[in-house]
Amino acid sequence: MAIAAGDRVLRAQEQTQADSRSVWDGVYTEEQAKRGVALYQKECKTCHGDALAGGESAPPLTGGAFLANWNGLTLGDLFERIRKTMPQNAPGKLNRQQNADILAFVLSANKFPAGKTELSRQAEFLKEIRFEAVRPEPKK
Amino acid sequence: MHGRKTGRWSRLILMMLIGPALLPPGASAQYRAKDTEWPSYAADLAGTRYRPLDQINASNFNELEIAWRIKTDNFGNRPEYKLEGTPLMVNGVLYATAGSRRAVIALDAATGELLWVHGEREGARGGAAPRQLSGRGLAYWSDGKEERIFYVTPGYRLMCLNAKTGMPFTSFGNSGALDLKLDDDQTIFPDLTTGEIGIQSAPIVAKDTVIVGAAFREGMTPKSMKNNKGYVRGFDVRTGKRLWIFHTIPKKGEFGYDTWLKDSAEYTGNTGVWTQITVDVQFGLVYLPVESPTSDYYGGHRPGNNLFGESLVCVDLKTGQRKWHFQLVHHPLWDMDISSAPILADIVVDGKPIKAVAQPSKQGFLYVFDRITGRPVWPIEEQKVEVGSVPGEWYSPTQPIPAKPPAYSRNGVSIDDLIDFSPELREQANVIVSKYHLGPVFTPPVASKVDGPLGTLTLGTASGGTNWPGGSYDPETHIVYAYACNACVEPIGLVPAPKNVSDLNFIAGVAGQEVGIMRGPGENAGADSPMPPKKASGGGFTRLNVDDLPLIKPPYGTITAINLDEGKILWQIAHGETPDVVRNYPGFKGMNIARTGQQTYNIGTLVTKSLVIAGEGQVTTTADHPRGAMLRAYDKATGKEVGAVYMPAPQSGSPMTYMVNGKQYIVVAVSGGPYSGEYIAYTLPSAGE
Repeated sequence: MAIAAGDRVLRAQEQTQADSRSVWDGVYTEEQAKRGVALYQKECKTCHGDALAGGESAPPLTGGAFLANWNGLTLGDLFERIRKTMPQNAPGKLNRQQNADILAFVLSANKFPAGKTELSRQAEFLKEIRFEAVRPEPKK
Repeated sequence: MHGRKTGRWSRLILMMLIGPALLPPGASAQYRAKDTEWPSYAADLAGTRYRPLDQINASNFNELEIAWRIKTDNFGNRPEYKLEGTPLMVNGVLYATAGSRRAVIALDAATGELLWVHGEREGARGGAAPRQLSGRGLAYWSDGKEERIFYVTPGYRLMCLNAKTGMPFTSFGNSGALDLKLDDDQTIFPDLTTGEIGIQSAPIVAKDTVIVGAAFREGMTPKSMKNNKGYVRGFDVRTGKRLWIFHTIPKKGEFGYDTWLKDSAEYTGNTGVWTQITVDVQFGLVYLPVESPTSDYYGGHRPGNNLFGESLVCVDLKTGQRKWHFQLVHHPLWDMDISSAPILADIVVDGKPIKAVAQPSKQGFLYVFDRITGRPVWPIEEQKVEVGSVPGEWYSPTQPIPAKPPAYSRNGVSIDDLIDFSPELREQANVIVSKYHLGPVFTPPVASKVDGPLGTLTLGTASGGTNWPGGSYDPETHIVYAYACNACVEPIGLVPAPKNVSDLNFIAGVAGQEVGIMRGPGENAGADSPMPPKKASGGGFTRLNVDDLPLIKPPYGTITAINLDEGKILWQIAHGETPDVVRNYPGFKGMNIARTGQQTYNIGTLVTKSLVIAGEGQVTTTADHPRGAMLRAYDKATGKEVGAVYMPAPQSGSPMTYMVNGKQYIVVAVSGGPYSGEYIAYTLPSAGE
């Protein structure tokens, strides 16, 4: 299992930019995002707001400022930030599956399209998905 | 340490430059600030965030380089992403709070070399704190012989450290620590470990008194109408003995108790002073900016005007006795905490010199008073406001509105405030706001309804206008500089709270969504509050932006120069690069959009002999710089930008400046998004570089 995952990561690194995935490629499922909503309401909403607009105690999770913060990085970076530091007064409280579900909801809230495969709960796979604020040009 | 001769010289220079008002004549032995140092959170006890330094100026700001930098990752048990500190600099040493457990670090101010670090391990009490991470700063005291550092830990203990070694002064309090949950004229409930009370801001030291306020959790969805109270206390700097206490919620028999109907002063809490306090040492007066009472948006359980909630209160430095007060908002319902330092300004109005205090605010008004008598400098009239209809609520029929200076940032929301880059975008915005109640400042919150209104849409409330970083003041020109978020929109809707969520009738929420469970103190891995029954959730919610573009039209964030002698706005500029999402919006190709500023609430300004300096709160990627934020300098007389240097992350703490060995430095805290906290020091390149 470890070797296969390693192969896959190596191959991902060798792929050209045009072949690697971004948040525009349907990287989570609707069902996963629904699970994420329930978790968000319970664990995140009191600071990040009903409409993910943030407030005094937490930044927004939709909109230009959020997109600018993560543009050019990967979902692995965002996932690890959530996993290690959130919720702020009990970081590490949520398990990887819960964090992945919440991230799926955040992606859906930002209108990134849903797809057929759930968002992985492993950072090494999430690092293969680029966070692009603007939808890339369609491949020719 | 400095010999007597140097002390006298620097006192002379200080008096010539800043004027006699700030120096107490013939005062007790006390540290005298030099204008090359930054001995207090806001530069001085008047809250000016001003230093008369000019080595860094318009001709060379663009050449600034990083002199040194220090990440705060390892000063606590995990990296922090919200580093809000303003360091101090005295005698060549820089002191700052840092890291997730709010340690104190001392650095060589010229090189950034770590001299010492002190952190308190507070266990469960720290974990339960309502205000975590490294906080906003610390305080310094000296009598010319001893030097002490004061700061408040997340667990709400006042620490007194030896500034030379970082070791606690055992003669202060209990071996260098004062438990602020004790001796507070109340029994902190439910217990000392989990009882909700703390603070993030820096204490203030004036003469031989150290003064501390109090802070609580965000108050939009409180668990209970009952909470601990945020009194203010003054302590002796040497022993920690409590010298006085001011009850921000009056006790029975005290002035203002009758502004809490139905005995609500007995159980209501919060109403603390969580932001920066200022002091007029010459007159022995302390200025307390008070926050909202329990439950920011619903006051049905605290009928009455609720003194001294959202009031500016002046108390005696020696006794804590109230001298005067002015309530900025009666019966608060908009989270218009007084969020920043009341700035002490000696001004001349219509030929008359006035010792004034100028209070910036979230609601975009700068309230100006004679700071000795409390009389408003220009009229502040009670005006009729809309009375709401939330069941059980009590409303003030009027609110005070200053005649001068004019509002410097948006409060209230109208259709005219909405995005207007194109008719299509405006139309989309109209659709969004059609679900909300709109109105001018002090339009009351509404009960949220699934078919609308979802809430009252507001500007100039929770994260609007000027927030904790506060304004700056130039004592030479009598100008206040205030950063404001001009587009930080906040919907305020109320929903009935299930009994297992809160004992209040209403808390903040949106109809049709699961009611938020307030995270209780001490909640950690594995501990869960009981959940209310699940509603069929579609997860639907209204996004308050239009295609990721801000709902409100530019300018999104501003810096305003306000002349206090005249009560007029001198200039106002948009601060911050136009966000990527606006600059790169496909529909805007070919349009020439003026710089919009940015929609962040927490930017502090620094004023020098010629510049106003502030960094950006958002990351952008432009043709001129890779992903990052710019530290910008403006000509303080005109607002024209004269320089900008790159920061790898947004400004998250307010910039400060000092000189050491003949070189001027600017230090600012940056953090946010993927970038963990770092203090960065800028200076001009040495000759020959």
